[in-house]
Amino acid sequence: MSDDNAGTTGTTAGTTTGTTTGTATAPAGTTAGPRMLEVAGLSAWYGEARVLTDVSIDVAPGEVVTLVGRNGAGKTTLLRSVMGLHRQTEGTITLDGSDLAKRSADARARAGIGWVPDDRGIYSSLTVAENLLLPPVVHPDAWSLEKVYEFFPVLHERRDFPGTKLSGGEQQMLAMARVLRMGSRLLLLDEPSEGLAPVIVQRIGEIVREIKGQGVGVLLVEQNVKFASTVADRHYLLAQGKVVEHLGNEEFRAREGELLTYLGM
Amino acid sequence: MRSRTVQGTVAIAATASLALAACGGAGGPQSGGSSKLTDDKVVIGLLNDQSGVYKDLSGPNSKVAIQMAIDDYKAKYGDKAVAKDIEIVTADHQNKADIANSKAQEMYDRQKADIILDVPNSAAALAVATQAKNKKKLYINIGAGTTALTGASCNKYTFHWAYNTAVLARGTAGTITKEGGTSWNIVYPDYAFGQDMNKSFSAEVTKNGGSVGQSIASPFPSDNFATFITKAGEGSPKVVGSMHAGGDLINFVKQFNQSSLKGKVQLAVGLMFITDIHSLGVDQFAGTQFTDAWYWNFDAQNKKWADRFKEKTNTRPSFAHAANYSAAMNYLEAVQEAGTDDADTIVGKLEGKKINDVFLRNGEIRKADHAVIHDVYLAKVKSSAPEEWDYEDIEKTIPAAEAYGEANPACSMS
Amino acid sequence: MSEFIQYTLQGLAAGGFYALSALGLAVIFGVLGVVNFSHGACYMLGAVISAVLLGELHVGFWVALVVVPILMFGFGVLMERLLVRWLLALDPLYNFLLTFGLTLILVEAVKQRYGVSGLPYEVPAGLTGQVSIGSVNLSTYAIFACLFSVVVCVAVGLLLTKTRIGMIVRASTEAPERTRALGINVGRWVTPVFGFGIALAGLAGVLAAPTRAITAEMGSNFIIILFAVVVIGGLGSILGAVVAGFLVGLVEAYGIAYAPTYAQIVIFVLMALVVLVRPSGLFGREEVA
Repeated sequence: MSDDNAGTTGTTAGTTTGTTTGTATAPAGTTAGPRMLEVAGLSAWYGEARVLTDVSIDVAPGEVVTLVGRNGAGKTTLLRSVMGLHRQTEGTITLDGSDLAKRSADARARAGIGWVPDDRGIYSSLTVAENLLLPPVVHPDAWSLEKVYEFFPVLHERRDFPGTKLSGGEQQMLAMARVLRMGSRLLLLDEPSEGLAPVIVQRIGEIVREIKGQGVGVLLVEQNVKFASTVADRHYLLAQGKVVEHLGNEEFRAREGELLTYLGM
Repeated sequence: MRSRTVQGTVAIAATASLALAACGGAGGPQSGGSSKLTDDKVVIGLLNDQSGVYKDLSGPNSKVAIQMAIDDYKAKYGDKAVAKDIEIVTADHQNKADIANSKAQEMYDRQKADIILDVPNSAAALAVATQAKNKKKLYINIGAGTTALTGASCNKYTFHWAYNTAVLARGTAGTITKEGGTSWNIVYPDYAFGQDMNKSFSAEVTKNGGSVGQSIASPFPSDNFATFITKAGEGSPKVVGSMHAGGDLINFVKQFNQSSLKGKVQLAVGLMFITDIHSLGVDQFAGTQFTDAWYWNFDAQNKKWADRFKEKTNTRPSFAHAANYSAAMNYLEAVQEAGTDDADTIVGKLEGKKINDVFLRNGEIRKADHAVIHDVYLAKVKSSAPEEWDYEDIEKTIPAAEAYGEANPACSMS
Repeated sequence: MSEFIQYTLQGLAAGGFYALSALGLAVIFGVLGVVNFSHGACYMLGAVISAVLLGELHVGFWVALVVVPILMFGFGVLMERLLVRWLLALDPLYNFLLTFGLTLILVEAVKQRYGVSGLPYEVPAGLTGQVSIGSVNLSTYAIFACLFSVVVCVAVGLLLTKTRIGMIVRASTEAPERTRALGINVGRWVTPVFGFGIALAGLAGVLAAPTRAITAEMGSNFIIILFAVVVIGGLGSILGAVVAGFLVGLVEAYGIAYAPTYAQIVIFVLMALVVLVRPSGLFGREEVA
């Protein structure tokens, strides 16, 4: 991770297209309507240690929902539980109304959950193009490779490079592009802004809004409160494995200072 | 619950029999009655490699050979036999000196072995010689080649029956050098046996007017000899000598046959057993000269014995099988003659004895160093086998005195 | 100079065996995380089956070259399904011990059935003799075995780099969990990959049959060198295994040529040096958090 910042600023300059920097305000009444992901009463353990307690959250199609909390609050464990990578859990997780309990991680991915891990998860033994082509296409709305390259010209430029030769920001783009090409309907984004230059973070914000516009649901783990408030509709505050607050974006923005203090930032 | 009871019973039984055995051991000699045998029976221990590289050479089939000796002894003496109850106990030393040492101890002490036979592998052989000396019990080595058994490590109770590295050198190196193979390069495996063989062969080549250009040590074990063979061909020697045994030897010969030396340079093999020829195929070894202590198809007497052996084992005997038979038979004859299995008495009966039997021709148990000297043979591998196991032409009989030379001056019996 | 070339060629010839066998070991380790101790025993089985095919069924070398890897693939599939699979979730040590135990059983079974002195095998017609260029000469069979190994390594390399299967295997090798999370049923690939690795060991055994002693113990020493090869190349690195295979063959040949007694020690000295300087091996991935 140490080299993430190194080449970021220069190499991604070409990808920044002239888009608005305006903020997306959470539409009123987002809590109504069909749920895509529903997590109900989820508890999780690592051996004897309980890391999540009775967590209930939901995400609707075209909605961006963040999990905010300090390190160790259980955010990543929640994402891993949804993905099916962490199995020592109780409670229910449903996607489009069907229970995921018996589904393996790969079956959940094929059902439409796209995982973008906090280390980006780019394969060093695969080229950029192979990184994109590895996952199966699981939905008719999946992005074509052409569309991916159009949206992320840098990935086209470097398509034959080993995946890990990209800068941190480019790797983040690649990780997101990978699940879009797969056609995932629900994205699990684990700290996409971490360690990236502001201009790149801004670009990631644009991508998130683009995805949202296509009806894709996003569950976003984020410590960058400012970034979270620019993209999300709703926010869950996690502390010691419990949901302590559930806020709309307006209220979230209003209490930004307080939350920053709370998060120790 | 039930199994616990059974276990308990067995434990009690074991303890009881152990106690009885101890009493018997202590009171035995006094209350021996009419028999002069310790424990009223003769126990022959066969300690050899039952699972590793020497298994085919000797291994479990040597027990068959020893049983043949027991049968012959009983048939010969019938009611007059001193040893009516003869038992064979066997153990696998896995070619490890420490295991050989503890197994020998167990045989002599717990299993009441009166004699231990065979023990291939030089390090294991020497470990057992020490046990024999300490326990004052008989030991006839057959399978090992080290000259130390009749040299620095010789002792009153140890005999060396079949061959040694010096005999192989005199037979093979001596003969080939005399016949014109005067320049040698030698490749030997880098452990006690190989170093010993290299020394013996080099000395013998030089003694007969030849010269050894290079002696190359190879790691043991090894399966890639291509480069060793290239090195051995440097300086264009007339003869390349391989001092390897078992799998190493087969690797060496296979790769030698695939090298450019094949057909240009004579291959001499230090130690070869008929089982090696059998496993590699007669054509791979065709023309190779080596010294054999005994060959099953040498004459009618050998053949007759080999036929009996084949009935029981479905295979032909190696020299080690015949030597185990011979050693067991001569031991039992000595017991018969002495009327006891007392080790010191038996040693007296064996020392200096001249023997001609199926294995030993012009044999003599040399008193000075306990080498059992006998005629050995220079063999050449046939180019094709008329029948399975018929692989050798005996080119020459090397008389006992020539093969074994003088008694080893390093040996002092004490 | 010609001697040096001679040694180099012999080193490459020996390296072919190492590369081919280590390739299978690396593929299995990469995808399953299993250190397959029985790889040497599978190499031995490949050679023994070839010898039995020839001796008892008069099936020759060229047929064995095809049939034996197929049989060994089947054996690998059974081994994975019946044994290895059940321990995958546990500490890798368990599968190491399992395959170690399996090695003892296989070696002992072959000893019981075919004895310890070994089985005969001949160089196939057409590959006997030597090829000489100036004062350098090499056995025809060694050249064939080396070229064949190179061809197989290249073919496996192409399979891994140019096909979708290869892409999945590489991804699963690098990060099995993440690959599952990207919708790939890694488990479905585990059995064939294991079988494939075992088939490669069997293939190396067939190639060894005409030029090495075919005994139950022939894999025992071999596996130790193979471990050195994969450690030098980088555990789980497929390219690393191949390159290190040839490297070890060369080092061994030069060792024999210039310091015969230390020929094998040299390999382990090389291994120690590589581990000191680059703990993850020449081509291994550095540990990334």
